[in-house]
Amino acid sequence: MILALLSDLMEGARGRCAYAEARHVDLRDETLSVQGGRVDDLSHETSEGIGVRVRVGGGWGFAATRDVSAGGAQAALAWALLIAHAQPAGPATALAPVAPARGHWASAFAIDALEVSLEDKLGHLLAAEAALRSGDERIVRSSATLRAWRERKAFASTEGAACTQELVACGAGIAAWAAGDGELQVRSYPLAHGGLFAAAGWEHVLALDLAAHAPRVAAEAVELLSAPPCPAQVTTLVLHGEQVALQVHESIGHALELDRIQLGEASYAGTSWVTPADVGRLRYGSEHLRVSADATLPGALGSFGWDDEGVPATRLSLIEDGVLTAALSDRESAATLGLDASAGCARADGFARQPIVRMTNVSIEPGAAGTLEDLIADTDRGVYMETNRSWSIDDRRLQFQFATEVGREIRNGRLGRLLRNPSYAGITPRFWGALNAVGGPEAWRLWGLTNCGKGEPGQVMAVSHGAAPARFGGVEVGVA
Amino acid sequence: MTLELAERALGHTRGEAQATVVHERSLVSRFARSRPTQATAVDDTTVSILAVRDGHTGSAQTNDLSDTGLRDVAQRAGAAARAAAGAAAPDPGAYPGLPAPAPAGAHDGFDAVTAQLDPDSAGHALRAAFDACAARQLEAFGIWTAGEVQTAIASSTGVHAEDRVTDAYMKVIARDLDGRSGWGAGAASAITGLDPGAIAARAAAKVTRDEPGDLAPGEYQVVLGADAVGTLLDFLGSLAFNGLAHAEGRGALDGRLGTRVAASTINLSDSPRSARTLPRAFDAEGVPKASLALIQDGVAHGVVHDGRSAARAGAGARSTGHALAPGGAAEGPHPTNLVLGGGAVLDERELAQPIERGLYVTRLWYVNPVHEKQTLLTGMTRDGTFLIEDGVITRPLRDVRFTDSILRIMEATEALSAGQQLVSEADFYGRRFASGVVCPALRAHGFRVTGATTS
Repeated sequence: MILALLSDLMEGARGRCAYAEARHVDLRDETLSVQGGRVDDLSHETSEGIGVRVRVGGGWGFAATRDVSAGGAQAALAWALLIAHAQPAGPATALAPVAPARGHWASAFAIDALEVSLEDKLGHLLAAEAALRSGDERIVRSSATLRAWRERKAFASTEGAACTQELVACGAGIAAWAAGDGELQVRSYPLAHGGLFAAAGWEHVLALDLAAHAPRVAAEAVELLSAPPCPAQVTTLVLHGEQVALQVHESIGHALELDRIQLGEASYAGTSWVTPADVGRLRYGSEHLRVSADATLPGALGSFGWDDEGVPATRLSLIEDGVLTAALSDRESAATLGLDASAGCARADGFARQPIVRMTNVSIEPGAAGTLEDLIADTDRGVYMETNRSWSIDDRRLQFQFATEVGREIRNGRLGRLLRNPSYAGITPRFWGALNAVGGPEAWRLWGLTNCGKGEPGQVMAVSHGAAPARFGGVEVGVA
Repeated sequence: MTLELAERALGHTRGEAQATVVHERSLVSRFARSRPTQATAVDDTTVSILAVRDGHTGSAQTNDLSDTGLRDVAQRAGAAARAAAGAAAPDPGAYPGLPAPAPAGAHDGFDAVTAQLDPDSAGHALRAAFDACAARQLEAFGIWTAGEVQTAIASSTGVHAEDRVTDAYMKVIARDLDGRSGWGAGAASAITGLDPGAIAARAAAKVTRDEPGDLAPGEYQVVLGADAVGTLLDFLGSLAFNGLAHAEGRGALDGRLGTRVAASTINLSDSPRSARTLPRAFDAEGVPKASLALIQDGVAHGVVHDGRSAARAGAGARSTGHALAPGGAAEGPHPTNLVLGGGAVLDERELAQPIERGLYVTRLWYVNPVHEKQTLLTGMTRDGTFLIEDGVITRPLRDVRFTDSILRIMEATEALSAGQQLVSEADFYGRRFASGVVCPALRAHGFRVTGATTS
């Protein structure tokens, strides 16, 4: 019914603008957090609305409304047209062609976490959080969190697109903070920043087995208080797969967004050290570096049937044997570069934001270095780092500095002392150029993040990255 | 209108509850390479219900304003609160209860012309920026935005409060074809408080024809422009003045209240009715906003609280009107109207005069905490980093990475400019909530540069 409303709206938009699209988004989003044996946050959000984007000459207009009636949609269209006309006139750029999207897509899941009772979800979290509280007074805060959401979309355009899709996702995590003698340390599992998320159901949360990991997490938080600081040195660095995923996200994924490369995001997110002419020739890293963007990966948060411009999901090789082969694009940026098709990377946060170039699931392909244990055993001396704690990178995605929750010495192929406040820094092409081993398929998995910010007004996007542990030579560590 | 809706929503609740309505109308025009790129208009209203059962809370939110939608959101909030209470039974929850009504003072943060959201205002602003940059053979990148936000709260304890604010913001990054860039920005409660041509001219003036030099890692005397100072203070707000983190021993001022934590010239307050700030009448629990001293003459005086953090702190602590969400945000309260008092130095040029060799920083970018309790941050400089030589701001520098503690910088502050500026990034994620820091530029010693941007 809503798709018919959107299609009718687009029928009426033809002739009033060069192009128009309308997107209806119906979102349910639930957050649960427990702390100290009590529920800290239990909130449930529903939102529904329509966003209409139009193109007049070279200008865009976008208007969003919560009024999902035909009248509300018409008013949004009129407002979008008015805004587009008010922009200073500019040259019209082309849009890469696309066949009209038709049909329905849905992500796979066994049990929608939104349909699991609040009592069961809280019981699960409380049990995990209780296992964090060992009785050690140095644990000053302990928490277990869970988020579940379901997003239904309908999309229509003046080019004849009419499709619907549904994503079901959830994730959870635990964290413990220890304080003492002026020091504050945190340990998290399985990821920092709220947990590990996937396009999946309650079965994903159960598989994380939070309670089983809680005693180790709390013990490590306390142990870190008196651990020696990570010494400043240049050494071999082995990263856990989760930190590799973030490294890929920040220094490869964002750097290869074509709108950034074309300076379209210079006012906020920034530009890129990569230029349009680099595609097909730039050496991005060592021969061990192979990276893809895949919107068809099951269970990944950056998967869909069609992007938010109606471009079908695809798998794209970005870096092959260290050489840049493609960039992430939407229809406008692809056409500007002279490509004959968009890479299908236009995504929008809810109904009240317009699509912009976002990562799909940008992943480093597995190598031949086996498991994390194999990688450590193959390393004579160095530092191992796990679980992101801090991240910062410049506006060209070139100079970065990351810190993790925990580090460990590597001595003669074995993990040694725990190290406090570990950090490392680098320059993107030098760092990836020093990649000398990537874990194998047995150590490769998806790492789902929900906090990627970009755009004005701000948009938060969820995406997954496939990654395995990896090793880098000659890295500056202990920088903070 | 919004208060009536809040009361209608409250009517669907049972027991202790708060209904909050937020209505946003906003317009954002983006531009790049002196061309408009995106223009986004939002008109949305959300109704949030906070239900309280035995000291436990549950909340729900919707933008369905029908009676069915309001009834449903009230039921979901009630079910959430019951589930929270049931999960912890028989232990009572930590939430101290909804606040009693208190009168909120008037403010001048609403402008009727701004609330019209005329798209032509955006068009005129963009043209002015394009022209100012073109006059220097530069391209303009940035945004112009204006918005109106109405907020109403009705609660079972008798709070019936309504607020209406507007805000306007424009930033311009002027850039040449070699990538050298300069920054200008302005924020105000009304669009008449912005001068797009002047903002663009300030940005263009920071782009020089000189080839940028490199600065080696080390410690330097620094002049931080107001935009850079504002970013640091915003982080200080969450790392040092969050009453929940402080009560849990995680805050940077843990054990340091009443002691000197900054130079004696540092006077920092949260002043919601200070000139140039973006005022609002009450916080997310309906508690009236009021001025609060945080650092006086370099001595740490207090932290901010919402109802939940005040209860956690005990010892007579009360909400200071800094709740970010109904019932208090899970991450704790945060000051939203920080004001750092100015000093006696005329401007940034005069601040630079005593520096033999140092750097001038226009703004900071991608800043994140490295060690929260030490207020240790890392980030980059951006859009106007210059060398200071023999007391003069001279050549441009390539952007550098800094890793330094905010409180150390405050302690090492040597002088403050007399002029203050409202620093606001207007990077609205979710519902529009305009806030900013009013602050001067400053000079400090020992600024720690830890890396450079080189390819």
